[in-house]
Amino acid sequence: MKKILIPLCALAICIAVIWKWTLGFSSFTIFSYTLNAAGNIPRTFPDIALINQDGKVFHLTDKHNYVLVNFVYLDCPSVCHKVNNQIEQIYHQFDSRTVPSKLEFVTVSFDLEHDGINKIKKYRTYFGKNIDGWNFALPYNYTQSNFNSFLHNVGIWKYSVPETGIINHSIYLFLIGPDGKIVKVFDPARESNNTIAQQINSCLTKEAI
Amino acid sequence: MNEWFSETMLRHQLLQLPAMLALGIFAGFWFSKYFHISFTVGITLLIFIMFSFIFWMLPHSIDLAVINTSFNRAMHVNMLLAGLFMIPILQSTLFEVKIIFLGMLSSMLIATGITLTVYDLLLCSSYNIAQQKETGSRFIIAGIILYAGTIFTFIRGSGKQ
Repeated sequence: MKKILIPLCALAICIAVIWKWTLGFSSFTIFSYTLNAAGNIPRTFPDIALINQDGKVFHLTDKHNYVLVNFVYLDCPSVCHKVNNQIEQIYHQFDSRTVPSKLEFVTVSFDLEHDGINKIKKYRTYFGKNIDGWNFALPYNYTQSNFNSFLHNVGIWKYSVPETGIINHSIYLFLIGPDGKIVKVFDPARESNNTIAQQINSCLTKEAI
Repeated sequence: MNEWFSETMLRHQLLQLPAMLALGIFAGFWFSKYFHISFTVGITLLIFIMFSFIFWMLPHSIDLAVINTSFNRAMHVNMLLAGLFMIPILQSTLFEVKIIFLGMLSSMLIATGITLTVYDLLLCSSYNIAQQKETGSRFIIAGIILYAGTIFTFIRGSGKQ
């Protein structure tokens, strides 16, 4: 009996460590781990003051409607622009009766060193002139370390590769409800634009009922 | 030296980890002369070795090993210990256990390689997708070589038995 018990105990301990490390075999990458470690959904989106492309300071909690938030940096070599192109397509799936009165889009840059108001204002023009309800923003009066801690609380992983300066980060989209809680998290690399739009629509419909 | 190893995923996964394992294995040859490991302890340690390989292949662990110094040291010590125990155990354990262990290890390498190659998503934030795919393809090659070694060991061992 003892001969079997020791290896079985070792096996159980090893499985338990991996189970704990991957949050119940659900988070194998640091991106999913950071997201899941931040808490289950729905949870409150941490409050943050942002400044948009027009210099207007606002809080996401002041919106009182649905807001789709994503995080990018403008010097990103590819992924951020792909995600923003996806958001552009999602944005155009909603008409003016929905955006901006019921749903808004906010793209936040987390590169406080290189991205400024003029840069995000210019970048926004690449997505067309008539994109009311889609704000590009920067954290207002935040130091990089404070903002990093905010990102961690949201569930976003960010790491600057020292050799290249490239910032590898999570690309999740957060749908925040009128009560300031995160109601959905989308992974644009795995979910199609239609699926994301449908899920947003279903949230808006539930709210209307 | 550590920074150079951590600079690319390929060096980290296919040079640094095996190098620590190899150091452990060399030490294990000396170690095996002085210690006899019982079957029960051998199986327990083989579980620990398999766990070590799985743990340090997880993208989450790879990232933290690159970013966090203490975690990096823990990885080195863990791989060294895994190597240290491997030879004495494989020398003293049953032939069937040896084959199963080597077969599982090669399968794990191939499976990890396929995952890293097939995924178009960045799995480790410390590296890039090109490095991820390159590491994946080398993992597959390493897995196939080990698999061939396992078959060779099996045929040779079966003949002796």
